[in-house]
Amino acid sequence: MTKNISTGGMSRRTVLKGSAALAGLAGTGFASSFPAPAVHAQEAVTLRYLGTAVNQSADIARKAKEDIGVTIEYIPVETDEVAKRVITQPNSFDLLDSEYFSLPKLLPSGNLQGMDAGKIKYAGQIATVFTKGEVEGKKIGDQGTAPKKVFYLEGQFSKKFSAEPTEWITLIPTTYNADTLGIRPDLIKRPIESWAELVNPEFKGKAAILNIPSIGIMDAAMVVEALGKYKYPDKGNMTKEEIDLTTDFLKEAKKAGQFRAFWSDFNESVNLMASGEVVIQSMWSPAVTAVRSKGIPCTYQPLKEGYRGWASGFGLPKTLEGRKLDAAYEFINWFLSGWAGAYLNRQGYYSAVLSTAKENMEPYEWAYWMEGKPAEKDIHAPDGTLLEKAGTVRDGGSYEDRMGAIACWNSVMDENTYMIRKWNEFIAA
Amino acid sequence: MLRDAALSAEAIPGETARDRPRAGAMASRRAGALAPYWQAAPMALVFLLFFVLPLLVTLIVSFWNYTEYSIEPAFTLDNYREVFDGCLADLPGLCTTFKTYLSTLKFCLIVWASTLLIGFTVAYFLAFHVRTMTMQIVLFLLCTIPFWTSNVIRMISWIPLLGRNGLINQALVGTGLAGSPQEWLLYSDFSVVLAFVHLYTLFMVVPIFNSMMRIDRALVEAAYDSGASGWQTLWNVVIPLSKPGIAIGSIFVITIVMGDFVTIGVMGGQQIASIGKIINVQVNYLQFPIAAANAVVLLVLVLLIIWALTRMIDIRKEL
Amino acid sequence: MREARPASFYALALFFGLFVLFLYGPMITILVLSFQGPQGGLTFPLNGLSLHWFGSLWNGIGVIDIGAALRRSLWLGVVVMLLTVVISVMAGLAFRRRFRGAALLFYVAIASLIMPSIVVSLGIALEFRILDDSIKALGDAWEIEAVQRGYTTAMGLFTSGLGAHLSWTLPFGLLIMFAVFNRFDRRYEEAARDLGATPWQSFRHVVLPIVAPSLIGIALFGFTLSWDEVARSSQALGSRNTLPLELRGLTTTVTTPVIYALGTVTTGISMTVIGICLALAMMVQRRRRRQGTDAGRGML
Repeated sequence: MTKNISTGGMSRRTVLKGSAALAGLAGTGFASSFPAPAVHAQEAVTLRYLGTAVNQSADIARKAKEDIGVTIEYIPVETDEVAKRVITQPNSFDLLDSEYFSLPKLLPSGNLQGMDAGKIKYAGQIATVFTKGEVEGKKIGDQGTAPKKVFYLEGQFSKKFSAEPTEWITLIPTTYNADTLGIRPDLIKRPIESWAELVNPEFKGKAAILNIPSIGIMDAAMVVEALGKYKYPDKGNMTKEEIDLTTDFLKEAKKAGQFRAFWSDFNESVNLMASGEVVIQSMWSPAVTAVRSKGIPCTYQPLKEGYRGWASGFGLPKTLEGRKLDAAYEFINWFLSGWAGAYLNRQGYYSAVLSTAKENMEPYEWAYWMEGKPAEKDIHAPDGTLLEKAGTVRDGGSYEDRMGAIACWNSVMDENTYMIRKWNEFIAA
Repeated sequence: MLRDAALSAEAIPGETARDRPRAGAMASRRAGALAPYWQAAPMALVFLLFFVLPLLVTLIVSFWNYTEYSIEPAFTLDNYREVFDGCLADLPGLCTTFKTYLSTLKFCLIVWASTLLIGFTVAYFLAFHVRTMTMQIVLFLLCTIPFWTSNVIRMISWIPLLGRNGLINQALVGTGLAGSPQEWLLYSDFSVVLAFVHLYTLFMVVPIFNSMMRIDRALVEAAYDSGASGWQTLWNVVIPLSKPGIAIGSIFVITIVMGDFVTIGVMGGQQIASIGKIINVQVNYLQFPIAAANAVVLLVLVLLIIWALTRMIDIRKEL
Repeated sequence: MREARPASFYALALFFGLFVLFLYGPMITILVLSFQGPQGGLTFPLNGLSLHWFGSLWNGIGVIDIGAALRRSLWLGVVVMLLTVVISVMAGLAFRRRFRGAALLFYVAIASLIMPSIVVSLGIALEFRILDDSIKALGDAWEIEAVQRGYTTAMGLFTSGLGAHLSWTLPFGLLIMFAVFNRFDRRYEEAARDLGATPWQSFRHVVLPIVAPSLIGIALFGFTLSWDEVARSSQALGSRNTLPLELRGLTTTVTTPVIYALGTVTTGISMTVIGICLALAMMVQRRRRRQGTDAGRGML
């Protein structure tokens, strides 16, 4: 691909750069870390797409290149690393794919710009989960950093979120879903109904938890509430005492040997589950799909306490302008126009504009993935792997059943620094 | 070449043989009096920019303030206070920092003892029991080859062996030695120590082997001739004379284990704490100042250990 | 005349054998598993035998361009190697005479060798973070458009990354040079000088040929240490990672035996480099033996 070519061309310059820096001519070295000036207008635009590997698909990049001629160059990093890059290297990407919960941390850095709703063709059709916090007119749980709380900005370069709709959007949703426990039904052999099962001694040494504090703490809070140990006024914004209580609870479970491992990338959770090291853990929907496509039974278990919601979306760096800015809008509009949405829906995610995705899916696919109906035909993943035989019903049922049952969202709290410290203690305990 | 590195590790400039300038060369010597300065300058510059300065910056930043998206110059002891938060209050219990250091020190000790024992035995075999030089070189190379492959790869290569459904467990259950798969094999203290020993024993073998090769064989013969048993010779002749190698190997192994977070992370299922890992997490959350404070504490501790080691064995005198 | 082996020999030989097995065992597992069939997983048993995973490695793993990472690491390794050789030789020459700060430089080099890498790495990251912040602040203050719009970071493979690697390889290079010059017979050089050679000529035609085999040793160290460096690079690289760092990421993100195929390939590359270096060294030795000088022998 283009990457290969550019690396070949870069090498001599980068070598020179290295030796220059070494000779103490530091300035020269730094100068060459500026991008080459004067990009010709006719040249194809390349967008550097920063996000987690989970959201980056080579197929989507290929199709985008075909349809609109924009080249996507992925920079895959871990969830926490995304935030770190936005803050410390704001000009190292052209398009950001970040989780909504990072926004309270990212925005004050002043490195992002609001997106002009007027330039987003489907802005009006974005799922109501984001714009109003509703599914089919019904309010859903909004504890934590719910997307509706951080969806609008007061102005293009404002550092404040607006509670009322404005024309400036922080992130345009790419994917979202409701997370719950994933289990190995063949090894557990009984129904699982509650988050409390994550710390059930029956699964001692066979449970796992996420090592991403903003997400892991919410899972833990769900467990604490499910056990009836404590009822948080707002799980998504704990006080110091509540953070202590939650991490102490986790520490106890860890000391008792409950956990086999901690993971921070979704593929890691796939490996743990597929190898049988872990039989119960909080999982992301596509991870369950990935385990199942290896022929290993794995259930995405709906629980009575509800789901933990998450959502990620496209953002723009403050300094993006000109051709690249236009290309970014063009790509986002293309992304929302259906093909990509259908692709993501078939992986088990939900897409931002449901109507366009529906147009790009077969009716039986739509019925299986979105309406919770038994599959009329075999269900295949985008790469052709057989996922489900005809007749099966999706875990958790329809879009409405799943998204409607969200109890809380991944979250950055007011006491985030303290929370991270306590989380570190938990890892160290 | 490994031998030479270790060998030369003992060459300290004070002791380096320097010929006195001879009359004929005096003139050009004087002209080149500045030569050593420009010759040493590039190395000095690299160390200044990428070693001395970074350490200074670390020290300075450990007194700074931070928010979630910036670091701000200040002079505060808060970061150190946070590192040792609750350490006095919790006594006699242990606070997180002490616990983490204790756990890291525990790994250090176990790994050090294991690598020393294995490394010494292997070096002893190579130096005293293999008779021909060629055979020594061949066996030595045999040991060094795995050293040249990626550490990460060597680490993860244990996973298919040790996992719940790994080869070892299959063998154990298959032969009836164990009723059910053994869980402590992977993601445990055991797997961490195993990986460390696997990765770093060579750092012990090389310097010890090198020290042993310099032992005058006549001394060993003399010991035997005076009626010393094998053990007595080993204890009274070989070990004292191998001390410099042992010290150098120990310093390597200890500093590597003290600062490690990759091995402990991968082999410990990310749930065993190490001081390196704490620093790594804090950097990921942009909490540079507190990470710097942790680094300074770690640095002081490592220097103390090395100081103690050089107290016990005066390397310069041993040379 | 051969004495009988003592009993301890056999015990020790057995121990040595077990040690070698311990060293190689896991590597062999990886080697074998990399030939898994297309349906194979990360663990035993082998599910068919094929080159499938090498094929998919060639086609790229997911979105990570492993080929690019490999080339980056190769390039960095080569640059580190060359600089390590040049800088070490220069410093080695300097240390043959007295100069102010010699002892200091030596102890700094030793300190750099034994400092926990995470500390050095963090320090370099901080240094560059502060540099970046200052450049950005300056850019904002003086409204330099290029800085405000285009500046990303001074951190990179060939700035902070290169520095981090050199702080690790140079002490090794320096120590080898000590060993070399400790055994170096000065008379050759003086003979050259007596015959009217300039310092450069005597270096180029006398010193350099004699120390050449050891330079291969330094080069080998420089390359392999850089090729496999993780701890020191971990915090100190910019947006582009080296191969071992990508590998570390991959261990947690890859769910197929393609990671083992990658292990086999990278091991192959390391071995090839060592092989070439050893062959080169042997060639130099042999040529020298033919020409009848024994200077600089025993260095490799």
